[in-house]
Amino acid sequence: MATQLWALAAAGAVVLAAAGLELWRSRHARARALGLTATSAARDVEPYILYFTGENCSVCRTHQEPALAKLAGVRIDKVDAIAERELADRFQVYTLPTTVVMSGEGKSLNVNYGYAPATKLERQLADARGANLRVNATA
Amino acid sequence: MATSPRGVVDHSALKVNQTGIVATVLVAFIGSAFFRPALVLIPMLAVVLLLGTFAPQLALFKQLYFKVLKPRGIVRPRVVQDRPEPHNFAQGLGGVFLVVSSAFLLPLPVVGLALALLVAVLAFINLAFGYCVGCQIYFQLGRAGFIKATPGTTGTV
Repeated sequence: MATQLWALAAAGAVVLAAAGLELWRSRHARARALGLTATSAARDVEPYILYFTGENCSVCRTHQEPALAKLAGVRIDKVDAIAERELADRFQVYTLPTTVVMSGEGKSLNVNYGYAPATKLERQLADARGANLRVNATA
Repeated sequence: MATSPRGVVDHSALKVNQTGIVATVLVAFIGSAFFRPALVLIPMLAVVLLLGTFAPQLALFKQLYFKVLKPRGIVRPRVVQDRPEPHNFAQGLGGVFLVVSSAFLLPLPVVGLALALLVAVLAFINLAFGYCVGCQIYFQLGRAGFIKATPGTTGTV
C-alpha cells in the first residue's frame, strides 16, 4: 500500500508542477498580449472582439460562433489563426477558439483561450466600455 | 476504424479509448495494493496502445466501441471533421510512457506506478475536458520541424 501512496504522491506532484507551469505560461502570455495593439484592426471607440478560428475547429462552429452571435451590435473581427500566423503568435494563440476583447483604441483587454461563453464576453465588453468611459471622463 | 479517408474522426471511439486507459490503470493501481500481479495490466495496456497506434484494427478499446458499443446503441457516434494523426500520436505517446512505466515496475514500482498514473491523468483530462496534451505535443513538434505535422484539429492549432 505504501508503494501506491508514494506513486500517487509523485504523480500528484508532477501534475501540480505542470499545472503551475501552465498557469505561469498563460499569465505570461496574457501579460504579453495585454498592451499590444492589433495592426489590422480599425480604431473605433467601441470595444470589439478578435475571434481566432480555423477551418477544422468544430468547437468554433458548434459553440463559439453561436455565442458570438448573441452579442448584438458588437464588431467581431474573424481571424484565421493558420493564415494569419503572425497575429495569432502575438496573442499566443495555440488553442482554438481564442477570443480577444479589444478596446476601441486597439488595446487588448482580455484574452480567452478556448471557448468563451456569451455571458463572459458580455461582461468583458461591459468592463471595456466602463474603462473607456473613465478615460474619456479624465481626458 | 475511428477515421475515414475524408479526414473525419469518431470522437466517441476516442472517448471509449480514453475511458479504457483510465479504467485499466486504476484497476492495476488499486488492485496491486491487494494483489500484486494486477500490475501486469500496465504492460498489457502498453501493448494494446502501441498495437492500436500502428494497426487500428488491433486497437482493443476502439474495436470494443465499433463492434459492441456502437452497434448496440450503448454509445452514440460523434463524427467530427478532424485529423487522426494527432490522436494516434497521443495514443502512441501514452503507449511509450507505459512501456517505460512497465520497465520500472519491478525495480522501482513507485516510479512505474507514478508514470502509469500520469498517463491515466492525461487520458482523463482529454476525456473530461477535451484537452489533448499529446496532440499539443504533436503540433509543437511539427512547428519545430521534428515531425511533418500540419495544423488544424478540434480545439487545437
